[in-house]
Amino acid sequence: MRTRRGSPLASPAVQVRNLTKVFEKAQKPQKGVAAALRGKIRPLKEKIAAVDHVNFEIREGEFFGLLGPNGAGKTTTIKLLCTLLVPDEGNASVNGFDVAKQAEQVRKSLGVVTGGERGLYWRLTGRENLWFFSQLYNVPGDVARPRIDALLRLVELQDRADEQVEKYSRGMKQRLHVIKGLVNDPPILLLDEPTLGLDPSSARVIRDFVKERLQKEQHKTILHTTHYMEEADQLCDRIAIIDHGKIIALDTPANLKKSIQKLEVARIQVTQFNPSDQESIKTIERVKEAVVEYTDPTVGAGQITIHAENLDEVIPRLTELLVKGGAKIIALQESKPSLEDVFISMTGRRLKE
Amino acid sequence: MNPAKEWRTFKAVFLRNLKLFTSYSAWIVAILIWPIPLLAVNIYSYKALGTDASISSIVSREFGISNFAGMVIIGTIVYLLYNRLLWGAGISLQSERWMGTIEALFMTPANRMTVLFACGVSSLIEGSWWIGCIFILSWMIFGVEPSITSWVAIAAGILSTMVALISVGVFFASFFVLTRAADQMASALQAPIRFFSGVVFPISALPQLLQFISYILPVTYGIQAMRKAVLTGGDVASISYELALLYVFALGLTVAGYFTLKALEKQAKRKGTLYMY
Repeated sequence: MRTRRGSPLASPAVQVRNLTKVFEKAQKPQKGVAAALRGKIRPLKEKIAAVDHVNFEIREGEFFGLLGPNGAGKTTTIKLLCTLLVPDEGNASVNGFDVAKQAEQVRKSLGVVTGGERGLYWRLTGRENLWFFSQLYNVPGDVARPRIDALLRLVELQDRADEQVEKYSRGMKQRLHVIKGLVNDPPILLLDEPTLGLDPSSARVIRDFVKERLQKEQHKTILHTTHYMEEADQLCDRIAIIDHGKIIALDTPANLKKSIQKLEVARIQVTQFNPSDQESIKTIERVKEAVVEYTDPTVGAGQITIHAENLDEVIPRLTELLVKGGAKIIALQESKPSLEDVFISMTGRRLKE
Repeated sequence: MNPAKEWRTFKAVFLRNLKLFTSYSAWIVAILIWPIPLLAVNIYSYKALGTDASISSIVSREFGISNFAGMVIIGTIVYLLYNRLLWGAGISLQSERWMGTIEALFMTPANRMTVLFACGVSSLIEGSWWIGCIFILSWMIFGVEPSITSWVAIAAGILSTMVALISVGVFFASFFVLTRAADQMASALQAPIRFFSGVVFPISALPQLLQFISYILPVTYGIQAMRKAVLTGGDVASISYELALLYVFALGLTVAGYFTLKALEKQAKRKGTLYMY
């Protein structure tokens, strides 16, 4: 393995070993004045492992995904890697530098892109934002100026570059976020939900940019967190599925889906579904998992996802049960397992819950 | 330390702050207006007690300062500079929280102390021009005759006071990394500093016990040095004690700010409170 730019070692681009981060959360005060006072003086705290002995490695030039529902520990992992948090246990290295002991070198090696509205100075123009951060990364002016121009052109913001960011649309702000993470031309990029809340068209622009330009053309190593399974499936070379702070599966998207290939998947659109029937469905022989996603809970409308070993046997019993419970079946479709199904088979829950 | 890197950081933060400051034009107007009534209240509190001559005579006899209006103006100007630093540099990291940029800032390899010093200097520049305007305006309104014999002493007094006040801003900024209530704490610090540093009266008017608190505040020495240089014709030698103490404060607060920032940033990163509002 060759040595990366600025890296002292020919190690993986990112290496995470038993990484753990525990937060303390204040418990709700008990009822009663004495208990409330006691809670104020010495609040009871419970410990929650946001990241729980996580292990993975990212190879140079790899597009690595961290897929999990909200609160699974994705953002905490990113914050540990970019030195915004210090680990309680375990260690991690970025570009060969230890995140706890060599924080400055780690920061120099990274570009971090976060989703959402934060992280930009809204009263400055797009160009001023990029210039400001380029200077904080110690990029000389004669290098920064053409680089900023090129980056603005790459994401088609050159015509709006001298307008205040507060006048940008959400999609434009996000494109600015992405190139802000590139002003120091880092070998490694951490993308934390970069398409969060974007409309499909803006999200596609970002996805194409990071995959085609950053990975394929510029050979950046990318760690991408998302709870959009289609996005992870489309972009990532390998995916770690994370839930409750633990990595529960790690492989290529194809292999992850293969791991549940012996299971058949059916998705049934229903209305007037009786929620108490969900547990009954799971008791049908050969049904391994049944998860309901409501689109309108007031009328029992939604989609039931079934994982079963033999759908031909299961479907007649299932339809009988649903009809007996008063549900109306609108559509029934057999489908190939997706990453969502991998998550369901491992946790019994949907990613979006 | 790489001087070119530190200079880039300093310049970028300084220019950003000036751009952000000038983008809120209504605020500039507001801060030009409010110190004038503040000064007027303080000066008329004295004027209500008798004629200018009789009050000046008492103040001169008791405290050795012949010009009570000048005493109030100098005290208020130094206090306003302190206030500007407290609300500018002091809460600079809290402002980053409000703007949602503190994480983006802390993810860069920029030296935090350089960032804070740049915030201090930009706060001072922002504050200096309008404080200068107020100084000239109030001098014209209240007809104070300065007694200046050494412009070098005035320049040294201003410079030393500014250096000490920047370090005050850096220290508060460091301290406020951990808290999410920097603005409340800054508010809480306004009135005590105004009282103990003798903004509108000489600290010798305070009971001996309270004077001890005055002696541990750099604002006190900034006010004393400037009063001596502007109102009593003091030269550099006559204010050297105050100047020396201002630099001691500057050094001490900078060192304390550095270690406080380091320790509190570590704690904020351990508890995950850095980004919280």
